Amino acid sequence: MIKLENVTKSYPTLNGKKFILEDVTLDIPRKNIGILGRNGAGKSTLLRMLGGIEYPDSGKISSDCSFSWPMGLSGGFIPTMSAKENVKFVCRIYDKYGDEMREIVESVREFCDIGEYFDMPMKTYSSGMRSRVGFGLSLSFDFDYLLIDETLATGDTVFKEKAKEALENKIGECNILLVNHGVQVLKNMCDVGILLHEQKLYYFDDIGDAIKEYNKINRKAA
Amino acid sequence: MHMVLRGSDSSSNSVYDYAVFLVLSMTSFFLFRDTLGKSAGAFTGNKSLFIYRRVKPVDTIVARMLVEIFIMSIIMSIFIIIGFYLGRDMHAKNLGMVFLGYIWLFVFGFGLGLLVAIGNVFYDFVGKLVGYISMPLLFLSGVFYSIQSVYQVSPDVAQLLLYNPLVHFMEMIHGNYFYDLDDRFVDYEYMAIWTAVTLFSGLWLYIFLEKRIVSS
Repeated sequence: MIKLENVTKSYPTLNGKKFILEDVTLDIPRKNIGILGRNGAGKSTLLRMLGGIEYPDSGKISSDCSFSWPMGLSGGFIPTMSAKENVKFVCRIYDKYGDEMREIVESVREFCDIGEYFDMPMKTYSSGMRSRVGFGLSLSFDFDYLLIDETLATGDTVFKEKAKEALENKIGECNILLVNHGVQVLKNMCDVGILLHEQKLYYFDDIGDAIKEYNKINRKAA
Repeated sequence: MHMVLRGSDSSSNSVYDYAVFLVLSMTSFFLFRDTLGKSAGAFTGNKSLFIYRRVKPVDTIVARMLVEIFIMSIIMSIFIIIGFYLGRDMHAKNLGMVFLGYIWLFVFGFGLGLLVAIGNVFYDFVGKLVGYISMPLLFLSGVFYSIQSVYQVSPDVAQLLLYNPLVHFMEMIHGNYFYDLDDRFVDYEYMAIWTAVTLFSGLWLYIFLEKRIVSS
């Protein structure tokens, strides 16, 4: 359960404040949630706010669940350290030591399947390799919610299949919050939908309805 | 090398060992400069780590400070070993006060660094400014000379230099180390005010702005 109470969020631009959310109050049940919205509507910001690394200007977001860091294409790794060292680093941040840490390192090594690169500095990686490590890492921790920001689109075909399968297995243990433009992916992965449009959040009990509404908005814009 | 260092002694009028004097000033000055410089970039440089909810911005400064202490203690040990090897008399008048001087300077550097780090998040010229002033500061902070010797030449200049809090730290360390120098120019209250004001305003601003630093 995620509770939003009178949440307002804006960010400063050269032409004054641009609002993403204006006085939004909403209860989101604990299900797999898909977030829809046009580019620049603030989907990623919403995800970051739910993950607790960005804060609303006013209002409150509260939840009794734990959230992963937003899995995205960028950030979270120290480029001069190898993937192994980065994984250990994140383990230590989340209080995992000893055998638990070794297990996580091995599972990420196996999952991302980048061979000897795993022990080389991450600045030498391609973006695909980096997202493999990131994906494997966040699947190795137990959160109530996984925050996913368009990560599913990366990687080659083989990895995409593997990632999808791993994620589907993971969904048994946890819920996901997914930001994606791929309608098919949303339909497969999510139960309920949230549409972010013109500073308001619209909640749909069925992801299909959310997608329909989203398409309607898009048609109107076009 | 031995000859060169000895030579520098005889060229100055003072009795104290100028090589040891330089080592003391340089290590303390660089301790300050590096704590300040490193912490200045701590928030902006580690932005990508803030995606982990558990990482608070202040953690990154503390981590950098720990590295700084580690490096500085290694450098100090190397200098002490070299001093013993060269057979220098390194007996300090008041070792406790010398240590206190280093630690105090470190705390001062941390407080100022926290302020600069916060400023750097919102205005990126702040960090650059620190880089520019550290060079002139090296010559204005009593690193290469004692205020006593300046005072003999010109009391006015000495008074002017004493507005710089770093001079007091240098004088404190030198004065408590050498038997031939003393801390008569050191205003401990002035140092305490500088330290308290920077440290507490830094911490207060940090508490106030933490969320904005994370989401910047």
